[in-house]
Amino acid sequence: MELRDLIFSDERVDIYRFGDKTVRLFKESVRKSSVLHIALTHSCVEETGIKIPTLHEVTVINGRWAIVMDCADGETLEEEMAEHPEKIDQYLDDMLDLQIEIHSKSVPKLSKLKDALSRRINELDCIDDVKRYELLTRLESMPKHTKLCHGNFIPSNIIVGPDGDFVVLNWAKARQGNASADVAHTYLMFAMKDQALADRYLDLFCEKTHTSKKYVQDWLPIVAAARMIDGADEEKEFLSRWIDIASYE
Amino acid sequence: MAKKEQTALVSPEIVDSVEALNIRLDEIRAAQREFAAFSQEQVDKIFFAAATAANKARIPLAKMAVEETGMGIVEDKVIKNHYASEYIYNAYKDTKTCGVIEEDKEFGIQKIADPIGLIAAVIPTTNPTSTAIFKTLISLKTRNGIIISPHPRAKKCTIAAAKVVLDAAVQAGAPKGIIGWIDVPSLELTNEVMKAADIILATGGPGMVKAAYSSGKPAVGVGAGNTPAIIDSSADITLAVNSIIHSKTFDNGMICASEQSVILLDSIYEQAKKEFADRGCYLLNREETEKVRKTIIINGALNAKIVGQPAHKIAELAGVKTPEDAKILIGEVESVELEEEFAHEKLSPVLAMYRAKNFEDAVSKAERLIADGGYGHTSSLYINAVTEREKISYFTEKMKTCRILINTPSSHGGIGDLYNFKLTPSLTLGCGSWGGNSVSENVGVKHLVNIKTVAERRENMLWFRAPEKVYFKKGCLPVAFDELGRVLGKKKAFIVTDSFLYKNGYTKVVTDKLDSLGIAHTTFFDVAPDPTLACAKEGTAAMNAFQPDCIIAVGGGSAMDAAKIMWVMYEHPEVDFLDMAMRFMDIRKRVYTFPHMGDKAYFIAVPTSAGTGSEVTPFAVITDETTGIKYPLADYELLPKMAIVDADLMMNMPKGLTSASGIDAMTHALEAYASMLATDYTDGLALKALKSIFTYLPRAYENGANDPVAREKMADASTLAGMAFANAFLGVCHSMAHKLGAFHHLPHGIANALLINEVMKFNADPAPKKMGTFPQYQYPHTLQRYVECADFLGVKGSSDQEKFDNLLKAVDELKAKVGIHKTIREYGVDEQDFLNRLDEMVEQAFDDQCTGANPRYPLMSEIKQMYLKAYYGN
Repeated sequence: MELRDLIFSDERVDIYRFGDKTVRLFKESVRKSSVLHIALTHSCVEETGIKIPTLHEVTVINGRWAIVMDCADGETLEEEMAEHPEKIDQYLDDMLDLQIEIHSKSVPKLSKLKDALSRRINELDCIDDVKRYELLTRLESMPKHTKLCHGNFIPSNIIVGPDGDFVVLNWAKARQGNASADVAHTYLMFAMKDQALADRYLDLFCEKTHTSKKYVQDWLPIVAAARMIDGADEEKEFLSRWIDIASYE
Repeated sequence: MAKKEQTALVSPEIVDSVEALNIRLDEIRAAQREFAAFSQEQVDKIFFAAATAANKARIPLAKMAVEETGMGIVEDKVIKNHYASEYIYNAYKDTKTCGVIEEDKEFGIQKIADPIGLIAAVIPTTNPTSTAIFKTLISLKTRNGIIISPHPRAKKCTIAAAKVVLDAAVQAGAPKGIIGWIDVPSLELTNEVMKAADIILATGGPGMVKAAYSSGKPAVGVGAGNTPAIIDSSADITLAVNSIIHSKTFDNGMICASEQSVILLDSIYEQAKKEFADRGCYLLNREETEKVRKTIIINGALNAKIVGQPAHKIAELAGVKTPEDAKILIGEVESVELEEEFAHEKLSPVLAMYRAKNFEDAVSKAERLIADGGYGHTSSLYINAVTEREKISYFTEKMKTCRILINTPSSHGGIGDLYNFKLTPSLTLGCGSWGGNSVSENVGVKHLVNIKTVAERRENMLWFRAPEKVYFKKGCLPVAFDELGRVLGKKKAFIVTDSFLYKNGYTKVVTDKLDSLGIAHTTFFDVAPDPTLACAKEGTAAMNAFQPDCIIAVGGGSAMDAAKIMWVMYEHPEVDFLDMAMRFMDIRKRVYTFPHMGDKAYFIAVPTSAGTGSEVTPFAVITDETTGIKYPLADYELLPKMAIVDADLMMNMPKGLTSASGIDAMTHALEAYASMLATDYTDGLALKALKSIFTYLPRAYENGANDPVAREKMADASTLAGMAFANAFLGVCHSMAHKLGAFHHLPHGIANALLINEVMKFNADPAPKKMGTFPQYQYPHTLQRYVECADFLGVKGSSDQEKFDNLLKAVDELKAKVGIHKTIREYGVDEQDFLNRLDEMVEQAFDDQCTGANPRYPLMSEIKQMYLKAYYGN
């Protein structure tokens, strides 16, 4: 297999297009278990019937682990939103319908979102022990659910197909957990770029699912802390403000 | 390995790991085991020493708390420490917490306080030292061990406070290590502590409280407050405003009961607002309000930077300029919804101010604010407490808070004993189920002990009740009636009887006498056997028309029962038969209170047959002819006021009636004697009645009017048996006879006669499947009871069993002598019909009111067996 058409690259993976497939060629630094975990997670989600690219093969190419799956053709939802600001409300609506559908699925094989969040907060070195204690206490008190959560459900991970259908990519962070935590993460990602859009998104979610806003907001300091690990430096100040809250006593 | 074990046993210097914690917990448990044996005197000495030491350390501990947490005001924290030591000591210094704390020898009840064991105490950052003092003191007073889990932000001062208390306690004799703590707090260790403890005293944020409740251990948790304070137009405005300022500025607003919003009635809005401003509060303008809004709350949560900070500093954070000594930042806002940042709990000197159209509007705003985040905590009202009681009631009815404070600064008021001396002093305020708590009051020592209640067996008080006048002797009726006119002054008598007696002149002796006394009278003679509700209603209508002051029932059970029902409906037309007929386990504990009888009419019962005993019983049965349902009524209110037992009225009873009613009286005596409620008072009556019946019933049956002695003895025996079962009640024979009579139309006395032998055999079993429940009934002893009957009757036998068997034979012989057949079948009850409806009859008999007094609690299958045996015979 000769890979020439590089369409994406970062510190973990190079993605090539190969005919009607994509090949995710992982860097040597990525552990075999991580690659297999990504493949397993993806295939589990595939079995739920949600529209995602079909995974065909996990293989080794020139000593590097690779995952081969169908190519999803189309623009990302982020690009579509930028091109058609007049359609943003419709896009938000469709996006939430899809996210809610995902939340309706159950994938018992996946690990738990709360465990992942707890691990991330424990690994975070830019907060003091007091803050860590408060965040972990808050996390512990949050209700445990087992809904399928994408983990990074944002417009740049959604491809709008030629027929207008959405295809969701990048399931590596998918876990089973509380839908409101998943929504809080999406809200946070929106808010870092466009607060008004984030608020529209959250209001619409609460309206569609009869969830109280406070219930989602309670997750915000937690997902903000978890995000700090991935976040760029310029995000940190924004995120630390979200974390610096007190619980009632 | 040996070395490792040895290391594990060494007491850790600090608790910073699960291993160290486990050793510490073992140490505290060991200390507590020793402490659990301490006397009240020893405990009180320790409690005194510990409270004194904490009191003395109040200033250094306050300084440490402010320095370490960066929140609050030293001088106010001194008050909190002082309060936690002095007020808690004062409240509990004389409280019994060890051993027997309450005793009532007469009722045989004793309450004994036992320590719970190991208490996990989670301590918050807002009141670290005072809460530590409070929790350790109440643990010592209750002989518990305590492990403290401090908040990492306040660990040094929390531990310092706990150490002061521990050192003083040990000095005063407490076991070493009775108080412990986590030195390096982490969620993992806090969770370990909660799992290991016997009870959790959690004070802290909702996260901690939820963690406590999910630990699987009993938890006394508290939660968030969002106290609204209403100032009514009737309030003393100066007092109200200054109380709120005093409370809200206390320790920079960190007390959880502190006011978060003030709701002013429109009419006093400007006046109160001016008072706030004049006293140094800063009223934010619209633009400033917006800035503060965005500073105090982040994504719906409280900004940690403002907690316990002075108003000026918070204003600075928001970019608002205020005088340095501004006391409170007040935002005039409208929405009480969570979208309004000012509607949240703020834990700082920031206050929302609302304008209410009227009192109802103010209360509905307060309700919403409570729902926003203060369910179960505290609410506050300023009002004229003398003139406005209705408004206060309205407010208390609407508030879902466990503390409702009137004219009281809520920070100081909520913790108790400062502005009201009956509100328990505490630094842990329960919020009830509204706040997800197990406790809805201020937490104190009573929540840290297990109360063992020692209840000794006691017997019920029993009674003997009979009509106040029972007149008897052949020919006594006219004499007894003299009293009606001459003593009681009755003017109008209403006679209830049946048509047979009326037509045959039985009531003539009554009416003649009434005429001679000048008492007006009328007679209702339409009572048929098994009297119906329709009949009773008809009689009642006649009574209403006649308005008697005296009712005279002349007849057998039916006439007397019908007259009793008419009496009830005449005196209390409002009563519902379903209520009155409700089954009870104990007549004195019944749900329904029977109406008082006798206010309108005096009730006289004159029996004309010897058997029912209704003239002296509190019972009456009436049938609803539309549904066929029988309503058995039982209450001592139904006791006739006067019973006249005159054998002259019974001389010409037909044979069948003599037999059936006489044998009914025998079963009354036998069942009353075997009943669990039988007493010496009823036993004599039952035995004497029984003996008379065995001797005179055959004579009365055979000789009729020719044997006046037998008639009179039977008349008396029937009334004696009536008084016995009016107090001792009956048993399952009557339960079964009631239903057999109703299902297959057998005369009541005959039905009893057919069943009594089977029931006696059933009751006599010394090892029944189930015995009856009654404290006086100590063990199955009914065989002995029947033997006592046999002895009294002169029935012989070489053993108890033989005497009992001979008693059964004697009963059979008596029945035979008075012409009663041996089986139900012999009375023409169709076998198929009997079997088809047997299960239904069994269930109804089981549920009959008479079953409850039976010495053997019958299973339905056992009742069925008895019915079958009585049907086919042995």
